[in-house]
Amino acid sequence: MTTGSMNAGEILLDCQSAWKIFGTRAPAAMDAVQRRNLGKREVLQEFDCVVGVSDASFQVGRGEIFCIMGLSGSGKSTLIRMLNRLIEPTSGQIKVKGRDIGAMSEPDLRELRAKHMAMVFQSVALLPNRTVLENAAFGLEVRGLPKAERNQTAKAALAKVGLADWMERYPGELSGGMQQRVGLARALTSDPEIILMDEPFSALDPLIRRQLQDEFRQLTKELGKSAIFITHDLDEAIRIGDRIAIMKDGVIIQTGTAEELILNPADDYVAEFVAGISKLHLIKAHSVMIPPAEFQREHPGVGLESLPLTSPDTDIDGLIELMVGHRSAGLAVVEAGQIAGVVTPTSLLLGVKGSQASETGGH
Amino acid sequence: MDPATIASNFDRIVDDALFWVTDHAAFLFDGLRLGFEGFYGAAFWALGGSPWYVTMILLGLAGWRLIGAGAGLAIAAGLAVCAFMGLWSETMSTFALVLSATFLALLVALPIGILAGFNPLLNRAVEPVLDLIQTMPPYIYLLPAIALLGFGPATALAATLIVAMPPAIRLTALGISRTPAEFLELGKSLGMRRGQMFLKIRLPFAVPSIMAGINQTLMMAFGMVVIAGIVGSGGLGQTIYDAIRTLDIAKSIDAAIAIVILTMVIDRLTQSMAQRKGSGA
Repeated sequence: MTTGSMNAGEILLDCQSAWKIFGTRAPAAMDAVQRRNLGKREVLQEFDCVVGVSDASFQVGRGEIFCIMGLSGSGKSTLIRMLNRLIEPTSGQIKVKGRDIGAMSEPDLRELRAKHMAMVFQSVALLPNRTVLENAAFGLEVRGLPKAERNQTAKAALAKVGLADWMERYPGELSGGMQQRVGLARALTSDPEIILMDEPFSALDPLIRRQLQDEFRQLTKELGKSAIFITHDLDEAIRIGDRIAIMKDGVIIQTGTAEELILNPADDYVAEFVAGISKLHLIKAHSVMIPPAEFQREHPGVGLESLPLTSPDTDIDGLIELMVGHRSAGLAVVEAGQIAGVVTPTSLLLGVKGSQASETGGH
Repeated sequence: MDPATIASNFDRIVDDALFWVTDHAAFLFDGLRLGFEGFYGAAFWALGGSPWYVTMILLGLAGWRLIGAGAGLAIAAGLAVCAFMGLWSETMSTFALVLSATFLALLVALPIGILAGFNPLLNRAVEPVLDLIQTMPPYIYLLPAIALLGFGPATALAATLIVAMPPAIRLTALGISRTPAEFLELGKSLGMRRGQMFLKIRLPFAVPSIMAGINQTLMMAFGMVVIAGIVGSGGLGQTIYDAIRTLDIAKSIDAAIAIVILTMVIDRLTQSMAQRKGSGA
């Protein structure tokens, strides 16, 4: 397993080797797994238990959006429910802001859920007999805040998600996309540091979904929230996430940025997933450039200083434009005032294909 | 021992037990009888204490507010028919019996239903008892009630109470146990306490089912109250029973018409209340 680079800064959520085994004999099965290194099949045969999540570890920093991508049955929904103990982990440790939530008392856990971690569900779960405003204020109502205060906060949250004109309506009068905005507003109302998103946009139309994805990312970044976002859609994960973890059969196969997943897939499963993804905006110059010395070997007559300049963060789309515009033999990538590498037409084509420049030598 | 002896032994044990209870717990049942009669008396006074047209107009207005102008008029007209047939006092007596029996039945049934909704074990224990109550012929409950409470409305009330409870228990338990899972998750993820979960999540979702149970209980109470005419309940049930004994066919049909009218009035009024509660808007 490769672990992607962490954003610098405070770690809000730390999930260390979390396991979930379902079944009446789960503790015995867990014990056997740790002692004898049993696999999923053996656990089912020997203990009649199902391994939901096995040995999941990851960290989420403050302000980071962390996507967990997997198909149905991959254990992603179980994993996210362990993060606020809606599902009790069989083994492992989950720390939120440095505190082990497994060791928390009931009141502490309630406080954590009410104030620090909000959850948004795929089913939205809006109470049908309450108005949009009452639904958005529901979390504060549970905490016992006076009505005027909670309505004020809820109104502000609804305004942020663009529903200021719909506060007195009932959920049944709203479209699916709007309902999900109410769900998000309800989560934001309690001003949590961490938002758990359980496939919130999966049931929406593609256009609405993209719109909500962009709005969600923008809003989360603006408010400085951390989010753990579950999805079965890699495009969605790439659009929203700073880092992505890919899950299969209860195991996190790989964690990294979209670029890292595409360039260095951990196995065939990940490779197959990322194969269909458009790389134009995901792969940056620093990944496709070749060392200046290699360029000079191949083009002895061309001086580095004559090449058009670009930055390491320019994506392939931008590089193609430059290359076509200047019709030059390469583009010099400048980092900290120095030429760090050169993008050649060959390396650029390899980047479009999703391979790294360093592989050029062999072909 | 041959089967006949076993059967007669069983009968003797039941009889003895009943006698023992009447002898030793008389104070208990006297108290119960006084309580039931007082309750019924209060309900009867509220409904039949004022002149018939006052009650008629009030119930008609209630129908208008709850359902609509047409229903209000129909209710008033139906009650006027009861009065013109000379059965006003009997109709109101039956109405009072139904209401007090239903109220008392709900007092027992709703808490049991709620507990059974939370606890599948308790639910499994309650189910066969309810099955038994519902499969036995309703007359059965009149005899021990007479033995313990004597002849009169208290006996009618007690027997009705037992017959009317099961639907409210069943449907309350069903409503409470069938809270959609995603809303339970929502409650937990918001850090709700158990009491909050019950009042803000479970109960609102159970209300339509509970209201259906209350309506069913009311209708069961109605059926039983008429049967309880045999034990001197008073009201329309007794009118019919007396008419049967004297073969007064015209009178029995009058009373039957009054019963149909009263049933429809009660059913429409409570159903509309249930819908208003259920939709919540």
